Amino acid sequence: MGLAWLSEWPLLKVLASVSDTPHPGFKFVDVTEQAGIQFQHNSGAYGGKLLPETLGSGCAFLDYDRDGWQDVLLVNGMDWPGHKQRHSTLRLYHNNRNGTFTDVTSRAGLDVELYGMGVAVGDYNNDGFPDILITCVGQNRLFRNTGKRTFVDVTNASGLGKREGFSTSALWIDYDRDGLLDLFICNYVKWSPEHDVFCSLDGKHKSYCTPEAYRGQTCWLFHNRGNGTFEDVTATSGIFDSSSKSLGVAMLDDDHDGWPDLLVANDTQPNKLYRNQRNGTFKDIAVEAGLAFSSEGKARAGMGVDAADFKNSGAAGVAITNFDNEMIGLYQASGKGFEDIAAQTGVGLASKNSLGFGCVFLDADLDGWLDLAVANGHIDETVRNIRGNVGYAQPPQLFLNRNGVFRDVAAEIGGGFDQPKVGRGLAYADFDRDGDLDLLLTTNDGPAYLYRNEQRSGNSIIRFRLVGTKSNRDAIGANLRVFHGGASQSRMVKGGSSYLSQSELPVTFGLERRDRIDRVVLDWPGGRTEEYRNLAAGRCYECVEGKGISPQDGF
Amino acid sequence: MLGGVSRPESEDRTPTFGLLLGLIVTLSAVVAYSAYITFQISGLRKVQTELVDRNRKDSLQLLRIQNDLNLLAVAMRDMIDNDEHYPLTAWSAQFERIRTDLDDAMRREEGLAATSRTPDQRAYLGREMTQFWDAVDRVFALARDGKEKAAREQIQLSLQARQAALSTAVARLLVQNSESEEQAGQRIVQIYNRVQWQVYVFLAATLAAILLTGLSLIRWIRHLFARMAKLSEQRSELAQKLIATQESTLLYISRELHDEFGQILTAMGSMLGRAGSHAPEGSPLRADLQEVRQIAQETLDRVRTLSQALHPVMLDEAGLESALDWYIPTVERQTGITLCYEKQGEPFPVGGSAGVHIYRVLQEALNNVTRHSGTTRAAVRLRYRPTALELEVEDHGVGFSENFPRKGIGLVAMRERAELMGGQIAFSRPTAGGTLVCLTVPREKAESNGKEDHSPAGG
Repeated sequence: MGLAWLSEWPLLKVLASVSDTPHPGFKFVDVTEQAGIQFQHNSGAYGGKLLPETLGSGCAFLDYDRDGWQDVLLVNGMDWPGHKQRHSTLRLYHNNRNGTFTDVTSRAGLDVELYGMGVAVGDYNNDGFPDILITCVGQNRLFRNTGKRTFVDVTNASGLGKREGFSTSALWIDYDRDGLLDLFICNYVKWSPEHDVFCSLDGKHKSYCTPEAYRGQTCWLFHNRGNGTFEDVTATSGIFDSSSKSLGVAMLDDDHDGWPDLLVANDTQPNKLYRNQRNGTFKDIAVEAGLAFSSEGKARAGMGVDAADFKNSGAAGVAITNFDNEMIGLYQASGKGFEDIAAQTGVGLASKNSLGFGCVFLDADLDGWLDLAVANGHIDETVRNIRGNVGYAQPPQLFLNRNGVFRDVAAEIGGGFDQPKVGRGLAYADFDRDGDLDLLLTTNDGPAYLYRNEQRSGNSIIRFRLVGTKSNRDAIGANLRVFHGGASQSRMVKGGSSYLSQSELPVTFGLERRDRIDRVVLDWPGGRTEEYRNLAAGRCYECVEGKGISPQDGF
Repeated sequence: MLGGVSRPESEDRTPTFGLLLGLIVTLSAVVAYSAYITFQISGLRKVQTELVDRNRKDSLQLLRIQNDLNLLAVAMRDMIDNDEHYPLTAWSAQFERIRTDLDDAMRREEGLAATSRTPDQRAYLGREMTQFWDAVDRVFALARDGKEKAAREQIQLSLQARQAALSTAVARLLVQNSESEEQAGQRIVQIYNRVQWQVYVFLAATLAAILLTGLSLIRWIRHLFARMAKLSEQRSELAQKLIATQESTLLYISRELHDEFGQILTAMGSMLGRAGSHAPEGSPLRADLQEVRQIAQETLDRVRTLSQALHPVMLDEAGLESALDWYIPTVERQTGITLCYEKQGEPFPVGGSAGVHIYRVLQEALNNVTRHSGTTRAAVRLRYRPTALELEVEDHGVGFSENFPRKGIGLVAMRERAELMGGQIAFSRPTAGGTLVCLTVPREKAESNGKEDHSPAGG
């Protein structure tokens, strides 16, 4: 570079760096306001510094009215008893198919005050309409979709009632492969407003406690009886662990046996990898698999988690967001277990000074490699006073995956995406049906953000929407592998993941410049395998188990 | 030739033995010291690996056991609190997980446990652990039979106490490890101190040995130089004596020939002349006498020539320059070599003995030209410099290296003569090949030499 001396000039330096690194190939546009999403999270904080205030809340993309357009659900907290001033509820926004949304919360019967944390969307009764579980501080709520754009609270009827907890992330999973979605719920710690512990940084003023101050609480596993009720199988399935302080959960098929396994991210406690024993029980193998602790043997503060085949090796890797001063754990499957490759891929150092919550693998630039988006934000407003290089609001990150090297392009994709936020929930979906994946991000005690992805790369896309018949109707747990020109990619249809959030269920593959794929292999959760050959890119295909594949108009 | 030099005395022996002895002592010291250091380092490593590292690893396992015991304590507290709405059997998977880790930690810890631990201590932990898990199994058996209350009582009565005892035992072992680590640390410090001290001692000893060897070497070399100087002096003295003897002998013979035999032959000649005049004219006797007189005259001429050759009287009477003027054509005539003779500068008188030496040097140089150079031309240059007299003899023959007897007595004599005059002589090879002999005598030496010591034959 004969003009290296030019880089002494700041402006030229910027220009040089722009011309040196390839442009991400897409832009984010903040369409929150334009879309009509006016949401303000209420943590209920009044000065009492109660632990749950720091953690909420989540978000979800779901097609609740089955019109083929992804709608938005935003979970909310509420004022604490004795400090009531506002009425705040979760929000359901209906997709108007023109880039705007309509708040249909009341119409849908979801105008219910609760201290919500996370959300899991799944069609547990296989009626074709997604139902909603809201995890709460206190009693979790299950809302059944009536199919008439309304929901009814079936918490007690389903057997999930009379159970107080500090629930966080949750997901629907058919762990016994009986075609019915079962429910896994993470619990954080044993906490109630009456038993809140006094913690202080300066010895005088109350501050938020770290989880060490509280006892752990077991996660819950509910088996779907198929009659609209659930049976608590926490104890009998081997999931019970009273020491866990769980915040995130993801599903994956760690041993490629077709039976879904569960990965739970624990805060200051070892993470758990529950391997499905195919007999209704699970066994924790996180220590052997190398996921329980950091490579230094320390239990980190795990928050969000996602699992996906980001190496295109056919085996799912894992991302776990951790506290500040702890890197994101980015694990690749390596024969016997997992290996943390955060440091060598560039994710480690870039995440060292941020506190990560939501995290999702998605192919943001449609180049056929899964990228990693992360929502960051601290839990303590005064952190800047203690650690100068760490802020309360922190920029989200989007690590583009190029041949196994991850580069944070948040600052290059516009839309104010890299503006510091107190980020928590994170989910993706193609809400505008242009094929590429858009992002929804929630903040603690702040607004939610909807970022529309505007592709400039010209990369092509193929999408699949799966409908189970023998398997659960959402086809959660189905594995898809596409093959094109000697390469292959794989994805799993899954709920949960990230933090308190859920992304859309349809599956998106970026194909770079290819106009078709050689074949797609579908492994249905019920055990059936289907293969379709020579599919044109640029559209979405609906696959109905045992009944073939049908191309849709566009995405 | 060195017959006059005294025999080597005991102090003149070569220092080889001493030096070899010194070398052996030094090498032995280095080897011994290396062995000592290796021994100390291996001791250090032993302390480090066997005590400190092992201790640390053991402590890590003990901490792991302690952590597992704490997890058990928390789990038992949760079980007694009974706020989970789960049967006690729910905890069995959690206990099983902890047990797997605990067993692994116990096994590793046993392999690492310090040797200082008594068999009683070793057995205690394992025994207590077995009893604890027996009790756990009984608790879960009760729970499975639906006797939750009894099971909870058992936890309170037996399990918690056993857990506490185990925890205390592990804590004690940790303290013990920490203490023995401290002791090991002290031992390491001691070893370091000892080694440091030994290093200083070794360094001092080595320095002393080097100093002694160096001093004795210097002393010996000085002695060697003194002896060499003495030898050189003796040799020079001898050479000078030889030259002086030679000169005096030659002078003596030359004078005897000239004075005694010359007079005799002259007398013989005149007597034969007279006797011849008495013989009748034309008689055979007269003719014979005439012939004998002729022979006597020739003999006289030869004797005079020989006398001149042995020591040119001309040197003493007319000086060097005249002697050369006479000598050089004589050499040309006698040897057939063409000599180009040049004189430069303002002549000054050259003293008797210096003249003889210069003459002899020229004689030897021309002799060498005649005998060894293989050429028929040579140049002789005599230069009167303001401060010195220079004589050069140059030929372009075969030169020194091939035929010239480098160590011949002639060269030695030339050098000695130069030295006797306080001058210098140099032998070199001109660019055109051959030999250049250059004698330089300081003017004052050339003028004065021999004024006091008139003749080398003075003795």
